[in-house]
Amino acid sequence: MAGILAPGLGVLAHLERLENQMSRSRKQSEEPQSVQAQERVLGTKIQKLRHLRDDLKAAVRHRRGSVKACIANVEPNQIVEVNEQEALEEKLENVKAVLQAYHFTGLSGKLTSRGVCVCINTAFEGNLLDSYFVDLVIQKPLRIHHHSVPVFIPLEEIAAKYLQTNIQHFLFSLCEYLNAYSGRKYQADRLQSDFAALLTGPLQRNPLCNLLSFTYKLDPGGQSFPFCARLLYKDLTATLPTDVTVTCQGGEALSSSWEEQRASHETLFCTKPLHQVFASFARREKLDMSLVS
Amino acid sequence: MDETVAEFIKRTILKIPLNELTTILKAWDFLSENQLQTVNFRQRKESVVQHLIHLCEEKRASLNDAALLDIIYTQFHQHQKVWDVFQMSKGPGEDVDLFDMKQFKNSFKKILQRALKNVTVSFRETEENAVWIRIAWGTQYTKPNQYKPTYVVYYSQTPYAFKSSSTLRRNTPLLGQALTVASKHHQIVKMDLRSRYLDSLKAIVFKQYNQTFETHNSATPLQERSLGLDINMDSRITHENIVEKERVQRITQETFGDYPQPQLEFAQYKLETKFKSDLNGSILAEREEPLRCLIKFSSPHLLEALKSLAPAGIADAPLSPLLTCIPNKRKNYFKIRDK
Repeated sequence: MAGILAPGLGVLAHLERLENQMSRSRKQSEEPQSVQAQERVLGTKIQKLRHLRDDLKAAVRHRRGSVKACIANVEPNQIVEVNEQEALEEKLENVKAVLQAYHFTGLSGKLTSRGVCVCINTAFEGNLLDSYFVDLVIQKPLRIHHHSVPVFIPLEEIAAKYLQTNIQHFLFSLCEYLNAYSGRKYQADRLQSDFAALLTGPLQRNPLCNLLSFTYKLDPGGQSFPFCARLLYKDLTATLPTDVTVTCQGGEALSSSWEEQRASHETLFCTKPLHQVFASFARREKLDMSLVS
Repeated sequence: MDETVAEFIKRTILKIPLNELTTILKAWDFLSENQLQTVNFRQRKESVVQHLIHLCEEKRASLNDAALLDIIYTQFHQHQKVWDVFQMSKGPGEDVDLFDMKQFKNSFKKILQRALKNVTVSFRETEENAVWIRIAWGTQYTKPNQYKPTYVVYYSQTPYAFKSSSTLRRNTPLLGQALTVASKHHQIVKMDLRSRYLDSLKAIVFKQYNQTFETHNSATPLQERSLGLDINMDSRITHENIVEKERVQRITQETFGDYPQPQLEFAQYKLETKFKSDLNGSILAEREEPLRCLIKFSSPHLLEALKSLAPAGIADAPLSPLLTCIPNKRKNYFKIRDK
């Protein structure tokens, strides 16, 4: 009874099952086929690449062999050529070294497409300091294209005075200002870095380093009053101050020995570079200490 | 701590984004390391601010401390202000400038205080030889308004100062006078240059925007640079107008150089010129009076935009000198009249 009343369940379901079986088996038989096809394609590719590799290897071997043969058969002319090449390279190195050495003259330049780029290398007491550039356009009138001179150096004034009439004077004057500025800056930097122990407060300075103000003590731990120094550099082309005032912070009238010291310090600051004065202070202090102990 | 000072500090700290807070507080250097370590910066901002105010009260912050915090905030957020440029000049034959920062500050403050009685002046020196001055303005009868200060950035031993643009213009002459006298100059003039980017203004005014120089150590000679167009090109393709492209590239490089352009947001041209036309007999051409109009070019980075015009094919090279002279003439406001 169940079989007749629900024929779908039986026959149709069976048909479906047979259909699925067939499609599954077809897929299985197809897969290996496509995989096989792919394998075949890759196999031929591998063979081709192997052939190519072998050809290239042979070509390299051949080349190397012929080069070796060439070198073995080298003629005297070819040896001379190699020597000439070495000589040229040596000349080139020499020229490069000479150009670099120009830096140490303080003033050098390189021709550019529109004029010349001048390089001013500043120095103080044998120490090479910052470099500054001025790119000049050679036209009538001669003009400055761009530069790396600090804004507080009176470049426009110097150019207004000399650039059109006497370019040498222009360059020398600019060198003077820049070297003096570099020198003053160097002294102030050295004071701050090397002699901080002798300073009792921060060093007051300005961009041009032409006004320095500081307080110092000869014996850092000791009981003495600190000195106040004020250094004015009114000549911007000089590295030594034009006006020096040293006072004692104690305020009251100084004993004659303090007065002598104060006056001698004033003279020292006027005549010797700042960091050298402090170096002598430090040496004296060491000497005193060694005498005491 | 005064209530107004507390409120002022609170409002300033509230402006600071959380991710900048520790940096700015460290730069302020008013609260100690220990005090800062007690603050939990991960809370809600209101809680952080409350805790900080409490610490400031403990340390008795003064108006000057608060003003200093305001200066530091402004230094970190320079671009929020628009800056004008002023140029001072000395008389002929002046002595060498022996700039003394202490004297300058005292003199500047005295001049303002003598004139206005109620004014807050604060200073903060930076490493690049600049001093930031903050001025909060009051009058003879009213206390200074701390929420509308003017900032001046003065570069000592130069004639240049940068001032934040503000709507309170009546104090500008007094400010100019204070700056001029304190820095030992005679005159002050406003330049036709304005931008939000203080660094760019400085580069333009000090002529420091081009710092590439040819030396014997230069690696590549300047002529060897290639167009960059033809690196991966198929050799069968040729540019019909390659000569023109190279010409444009050369002119652009000569005009704008290889360096990054200073950043300006606009250039403004006020024209008062007679109308010029090819067509005869047009009404405008017959007009005797000059036409007045205002042309404004705006861009997030105007000079780079101008530099890219000719290579992009939008404009002919060379560009009008009115556009290319901006950094050289140190102007982005122009008045053009018929000669």
